[in-house]
Amino acid sequence: MSQTTPVPPPPPPVTHAPPPYVAPAVDPTGPVAPPVARPVADPTAPSLWAEPASEAAEPSAPRVGGIRDDQLPGRLDVLHLSQWFNKRKVLERCSLSMEPGEVTALIGPSGCGKSTFLRALNRMHELVPGAELSGQVLLNGVDIYGVDMSPTEVRLRIGMVFQKPNPFPAMSIADNVLAGLGLSGSKTDDPEWLVEQCLRRAGLWTEVKDRLGESGMSLSGGQQQRLCIARSLAVHPDVLLMDEPCSALDPISTRVIEETIRELCHDITIVIVTHNMQQAQRVSDQCAFFLVETLGEPGRIVEHGPTERMYSNPSDPRTLDYVNGRFG
Amino acid sequence: MTVELERTDTIWLDEPVDAPPVDDAPVSGAAVDPVDDAPEPPAEDPDVPFRPSSFGPSDRLEMVLAAVSGLAFAWALCLVMDWSHPLTFAIWAIVWFVAGIYVTARARTSKVVAMDRLVTTLIWLSGAFAVAVLGWMIVFVLVEGIGGLVDDLPRGEWIARIGAVALMVAVVAVVRWRVGRREAQGSAGVVTRLLPRLVGSACAVGALVVLLSVINTEFFTSDIAEVGPLDEGGGIYHALIGTLEQITIATVISVPIAILTAIYLHEIKGRLAVPVRFIVDAMSGLPSIVAGLIVFTVWVNTGRGFSGASAGVALAIIMIPIVTRTAEEILRTIDDGLRESALALGAPQWRSVVQVVLPTARAGLITASILGVARAIGETAPVLLTAFGSAVTNYNPFSAPQADLPLFIWGLLREPNEAQIARAWSAAVVLLLLVLVLFITARVIGERGARKRTGR
Amino acid sequence: MPDAPAPDGASFEDVPRPIVQSRTFGDRVFRGVSAGAAATCLLIMITTGVFLTWKAFPAISATGPVEFLTGDTWQPDDEAFGVGGLLVNTIMIALTALLIGVPIALGLALFINEYSPARMRPYLTGGVDLLAAIPSLIFGMWGLYALSEPLSGVAEWLASHLNAIPLFRLTEPDVSLTRSTFIAGFVVAIMITPVITSVSRDVMAQVPRVQCEGALGLGGSRWGMIRDVVLPFGKSGIVGSILLGFGRALGETIAVVLVIDLVFQPNLNILEQGSGSISALIATKFGEAQGLEINGLIAAGLALFIMTLIVNLIARAIVNRSKLTG
Repeated sequence: MSQTTPVPPPPPPVTHAPPPYVAPAVDPTGPVAPPVARPVADPTAPSLWAEPASEAAEPSAPRVGGIRDDQLPGRLDVLHLSQWFNKRKVLERCSLSMEPGEVTALIGPSGCGKSTFLRALNRMHELVPGAELSGQVLLNGVDIYGVDMSPTEVRLRIGMVFQKPNPFPAMSIADNVLAGLGLSGSKTDDPEWLVEQCLRRAGLWTEVKDRLGESGMSLSGGQQQRLCIARSLAVHPDVLLMDEPCSALDPISTRVIEETIRELCHDITIVIVTHNMQQAQRVSDQCAFFLVETLGEPGRIVEHGPTERMYSNPSDPRTLDYVNGRFG
Repeated sequence: MTVELERTDTIWLDEPVDAPPVDDAPVSGAAVDPVDDAPEPPAEDPDVPFRPSSFGPSDRLEMVLAAVSGLAFAWALCLVMDWSHPLTFAIWAIVWFVAGIYVTARARTSKVVAMDRLVTTLIWLSGAFAVAVLGWMIVFVLVEGIGGLVDDLPRGEWIARIGAVALMVAVVAVVRWRVGRREAQGSAGVVTRLLPRLVGSACAVGALVVLLSVINTEFFTSDIAEVGPLDEGGGIYHALIGTLEQITIATVISVPIAILTAIYLHEIKGRLAVPVRFIVDAMSGLPSIVAGLIVFTVWVNTGRGFSGASAGVALAIIMIPIVTRTAEEILRTIDDGLRESALALGAPQWRSVVQVVLPTARAGLITASILGVARAIGETAPVLLTAFGSAVTNYNPFSAPQADLPLFIWGLLREPNEAQIARAWSAAVVLLLLVLVLFITARVIGERGARKRTGR
Repeated sequence: MPDAPAPDGASFEDVPRPIVQSRTFGDRVFRGVSAGAAATCLLIMITTGVFLTWKAFPAISATGPVEFLTGDTWQPDDEAFGVGGLLVNTIMIALTALLIGVPIALGLALFINEYSPARMRPYLTGGVDLLAAIPSLIFGMWGLYALSEPLSGVAEWLASHLNAIPLFRLTEPDVSLTRSTFIAGFVVAIMITPVITSVSRDVMAQVPRVQCEGALGLGGSRWGMIRDVVLPFGKSGIVGSILLGFGRALGETIAVVLVIDLVFQPNLNILEQGSGSISALIATKFGEAQGLEINGLIAAGLALFIMTLIVNLIARAIVNRSKLTG
């Protein structure tokens, strides 16, 4: 998508800031072979993989790992999504499109269903007992809640980073990055390359390259969170969902992760939940504002659109009040 | 096993701590510089931290006074009333002591504080009682049984060996201390660094060798098949073999079932979860003799006869609920975020459990299993009904009665003969040491695992 | 209703749609295996109930169910199996154990949680757990060889000083005071102390720290805090832990066998020689039992099984509820 991305605000002049993002040592022009051998889906089942043969101009062009912005996969469309917990409706007919190559921020006060909405996007919602939903979530035009759709494959395509950094304690840093491969049953020919690639993209490589064998728990909170991002990147998802990824972190780590997000969005679709309005303004291209109008009602999307417009000239007065900090 | 809740120690103040005097800074009037008005910090004030204590010098004095007066009162009372029973003395002394504590605290402070002091004393007494009983029991068993575990040596020999061990232990201690200090100073050449270590390890090995040399090897390597009741010698070899085989069978049966059940209860949370948890609760309260009775009824008494394997099954029935409950507690301590992360990476549930949950819980699950073994290894009642016991060494757990440690002890205790009872005590020491070693191993592994899980 | 992207004519109704859980083959195997293991536990208990009942039936029908539960004769030759007296004695031992053990156990639990220095706490908890792991056989030996002497002295003292209490009275002045319900009760008390302590300590540790600090912040003493916050909060958990200890005491075998003389008559003078418990009966008579007597022993085991099952399930229900609501 070649639209103008909002210029990210210049980093604050912090002298002891971590080193800037180092671009991956990959030739961006040359074709990069996808390092992950994906599990072969049932050919008769509807496929989540955006088919290059039908959509892209160059059928053999690799999509993943390369830096191309004309034909990115991972378009996510939500149509009239309603969600229930134990018959209590928490979200009412939300529709939203998340474009590839953009960062979409979900903002709103606490308890308005942002995280619930996010968890429906990669079928984590149904892990909660008593959870139900209606409507559709389309990844590249295919309903992820379709009859023949396997939740594991959906989650492989749509990765997720959680609020609390949680590297797997029983694994080293390198094993943490590769954990997704083992967990999804896929393989790579060159694990070292993949580890380096993912850690670089997550902005962690320079800090941990000499201690890849150490436990992931030995890192600081911000490093752990970036390790979790690297872990999600290793399975090459089309979409990365982030559930308040910085709320447990200090401001310096937060800034590093925000830079990482800006770098990553050139490759994959990012959806981020945050209740920090300034953060949404800093990192996102699109913005959706969730709100529960009266207590006990389900949450709704009040307004969505480009972040710039949402913050400067929203059409709904409630959005204006919220982004100006009059409530919430 | 329970999961320790982390909690802060309650700090208790019941005497006013010397607070810095509150300055009467003027509420208004910005003209006064607050710094000038603040009390000058004393120049000699050393910035050493101190812990506010609830137990001041006067409390200590009262405690001592009450104890002394309690003893004196009980002594006088027994003298006057001509009571001679030590129990009478002890009860009156304690009653007077507790009452004295209440009365003095009541006189000095308030009713509330006095009551608190009284209850504190009672609770400390019950804590001390429990610790003393545990200590008494362990010391009693060791003293009774250690004689049979070591060689019968003349007195001089004993003194020489104990002296040698003490000397070598002292050398090891000195070397450790010196090396530690050297390393702290950071000055040491290769020779000066290596030599004390060599000496130290040589002495440690030497001490171990001497200790091992006094062990009565016959006790561990022979059975009592051909030993008459009044003979010397004989040992627990057949019982050790039986215990080893029965516990192995029990572990092989129970640990997989228990851990899978725990996974079913906490990871899968299937339809059977409620009845299964109910049943596991019921099983954990099953009297051990009933566990033996089941296997006896279903297996032994239907013509198959006593065997070590049936004892293993009975012990497994005892172990399953113990291991299941502990394992479920361990699984509960694992952050749900780990499971969700694994699923969010596209893992099917079984891979998330096998590759993430179980490795994270590994140490805890080992602890759970060892605790189950420690519990089963000393059970007598179920093996009595299934293995029955034997004086000969029976290597085959699948046929014929078999001995094990508890049955060995049980059999000898019922004989009216000092030598046999001494053997029983020695075997009891071995059993107690086995349980202790298993228990401590379980603790160490469990704590390491917990530290690793939380990344400390 | 802001639905900006038009639904492309897709018709929808706002009702929950079924979420299809297509599990992988591996997941189905995994769930099957775990469920199988869980079902094994069910199977064991069902087998226990069915087999014990089936095998107990001949003995109970030979004696008659009422006579079985109330009688106090055990004459295998006459096909008379009465466990009434033993039931009474079993319960007397367990009650004696509770009477001695509960104050110690609760004191110890409070001591560990509230009074002991924080550094000692893990060691004390470990010590209690270790006490629970020590084999009952060793408790029994210790009771027999170390406790019998001093405890018969205590029994003498109780009989002479507290004979106002009917339980402590003696039928004859010079009756033997060893191998009695009292001594068995004391040994079992030491054995159930760790059970009661660890469960009740666990429950008390769940008291929200803010509530405790609230009580202290109002100027309450530590005992005041325990009385007004910790004990009410942990009440049902403590009751449950006591019942669990009771269940354990009912089923204790070896330690009891070692320190008592088995009698079949109910003996309410707990200081006097002669006591009994069902598990002691099984362990003692089992060696030479033949024919119908084996069925009689199984019937006695069934009675014990049912009794402890009921006590334990009530106890567990109480403990679990207190943990959930707490």
